[in-house]
Amino acid sequence: MSKLSGRADLQKWAPLLVLVALVVFFAVLNPNFLSVRNFARISISATAPLMVALGVTFVIIMGSIDLSMEGAVAVCAVVFAWVFLALGGSLAGPGWLAVPLCLLVGAVYGAVNGAVHVGLRIPSFMASLSMGFVGIGLSLLMTGGDRIRVEDPTFRALLTERYFGFPLMVHVALLVLLVAWFIQSQTAIGRNFYAVGGGEELAHASGLDVRRVRIAGFTIAGVFYAFGALFAVAQIGIAETATGNNFMFASITSVVVGGTALWGGSGGVWNTLIGVLIVNVINNGMVVMGLPRYIQDGVLGLLVIIAVVLSTDRRSLSLVK
Amino acid sequence: MSFIKNFIEQETLNRRNFLLASALGLGGAAAASLARPSIARASIADPTIAWSYRDRTNPYWNAIASGGEAFVESLGKPKSALVQLINEGSSEKSLSDVKALLGKTDGRLALAIDANDSPNGRPVVEAVAAKGAYVSTIWNKTDDLHPWDFGDNYVSHMTWSDVGPSEQTATILFKAMGGKGAIVGLGGIASNNPAIERRHGLDNALKNYPDIKLLDYQAADWDTQKANAIMASYLTRFGDQITGVFCANDTMAYGVIEALRAEGLAGQIPIVAYDGNAQAVDLVLAGDLLATVSTNPYWGGGVTAALAYYAAIGAFKPSQEPREHREFYGPTILITKAEAEDFKKKYIQSTPSYNWKDFWGPSKGQIMY
Repeated sequence: MSKLSGRADLQKWAPLLVLVALVVFFAVLNPNFLSVRNFARISISATAPLMVALGVTFVIIMGSIDLSMEGAVAVCAVVFAWVFLALGGSLAGPGWLAVPLCLLVGAVYGAVNGAVHVGLRIPSFMASLSMGFVGIGLSLLMTGGDRIRVEDPTFRALLTERYFGFPLMVHVALLVLLVAWFIQSQTAIGRNFYAVGGGEELAHASGLDVRRVRIAGFTIAGVFYAFGALFAVAQIGIAETATGNNFMFASITSVVVGGTALWGGSGGVWNTLIGVLIVNVINNGMVVMGLPRYIQDGVLGLLVIIAVVLSTDRRSLSLVK
Repeated sequence: MSFIKNFIEQETLNRRNFLLASALGLGGAAAASLARPSIARASIADPTIAWSYRDRTNPYWNAIASGGEAFVESLGKPKSALVQLINEGSSEKSLSDVKALLGKTDGRLALAIDANDSPNGRPVVEAVAAKGAYVSTIWNKTDDLHPWDFGDNYVSHMTWSDVGPSEQTATILFKAMGGKGAIVGLGGIASNNPAIERRHGLDNALKNYPDIKLLDYQAADWDTQKANAIMASYLTRFGDQITGVFCANDTMAYGVIEALRAEGLAGQIPIVAYDGNAQAVDLVLAGDLLATVSTNPYWGGGVTAALAYYAAIGAFKPSQEPREHREFYGPTILITKAEAEDFKKKYIQSTPSYNWKDFWGPSKGQIMY
């Protein structure tokens, strides 16, 4: 029994151990890696992916998958920038209204995504992938292929203002992370995600409206994608269709590497935080140690496999699909 | 009397055969003219005009498409009269879109196209020529494919040599650094022709400046966010050693500038880029960017469609033009702070109105292999 719990403990802490090992490894190769300024750089590049990954974490806990994030982020970013500029282009003025609107757009997008999946009984993989394409097309239609520049110094303070060595956006992101944790552990809907992911028939038999829980999960995910869009625009100062690029692989990888199982029912937001940090530490560290680009992709792929092997208990699974 | 019966029977048969044969002959001639209209058709009265390219999200292709639309408007047609075929980076889609449009228009088509990759150039041109339509290409074709091997139907090919201009931007960067120091580089998708040529230009410039060290050069795939992350990592790895940045295009330079801004270093390290996008020109004016190069995609998009169109309606006969009018280099305009104001006035604030019949005025001579 003690042996079993020892193994379970190891699996629980494996992602954190992997993260620490990576940090030590890169620090030995280049001492510059271990500086507050570099940690700030890693955290800046991790902020937007963390938001998107938190969103998809809830969906994955339910045992579904959401691949619509690239379209959702693009739509949210473009709507935000467009309304923000239309309202005067300053966070200090009426432009702040664009922020709640952006979150609302994310929620609606997620709700439609969930409704398509649940209502039309299309597997979440296919429904969300298609909704992602719809989003890319929609944002392209809105921008006509142009980029919208957001240069308001108050908004960009998210990147340029630093407290304790870290930009404002990192602090805000930590607050959003706490909200995600609150949803996961302190609310009924958060516990219902685990119930659905752990055994849908059982949850259904216990009187849970599984369809509503699923739609709620996708809606909440959409709100987090909107946060990701806001941070991505704050980081680069540009909103465009390409704002959503690269988020799909990065976020799903992060969630899985953090130890949240793709078959649902386990993991959580802290796992996702560790996962996002692992992926970004690897990306940063490989450039810092001077690996050529074509090797970097391969190394990242291998590390993902190793991390998943270490951090998930696959013995209880009769079937891997 | 059977010979009479035989005779009548034979004559009936002959007559029937004759009728059948003549019907076949007429139909055959009609069928032949359908299949090979290039023989019968010297010019097309009102051809469909189409542009086939990669992706409208990218500012470069967006400018190409806008130029094509401007040309169509110069004919008194609405913008929507330009058929836009977007291949999303797939050569197969590029070719099948072209074939579908050839079928739909029955070859009454003036096509401007970037075939997405070099090997796809030949099947596209062959499909167009077989239908008697007209095509002008840019960027991608193999070295053994030439417009003059296809009579009039393959009107022209335009490309840009990036080696010289990127050598110039690199040299501007090195001069700004006082001829010594160390730079980092960000390149495009490694297999792309422009990415290779722009790197080549940088290497040429480095040979003239032995005191400039290239610390590292990584592919950021033309992507703003990737360039942003790589630049941040460069800062950790090399720190104060970096005194200059070479970017193979503008969109990556935006990411680099933001990575520097996050560190409070914006405007302190000279950066050069490429493509001459509107935002990049503003950054040159603001002093955040030292130089960029415009290939004038707006003109390129317009004139490529114009060449195909005017050849199709018979306004000029491509086969009677000299070779430097069939394969030529497009223009490149170097933009530093000295030129930026002027460039902005001329090309960005007021959309320049081009004479789309002046096909070869801004071009830079015949392509050399």
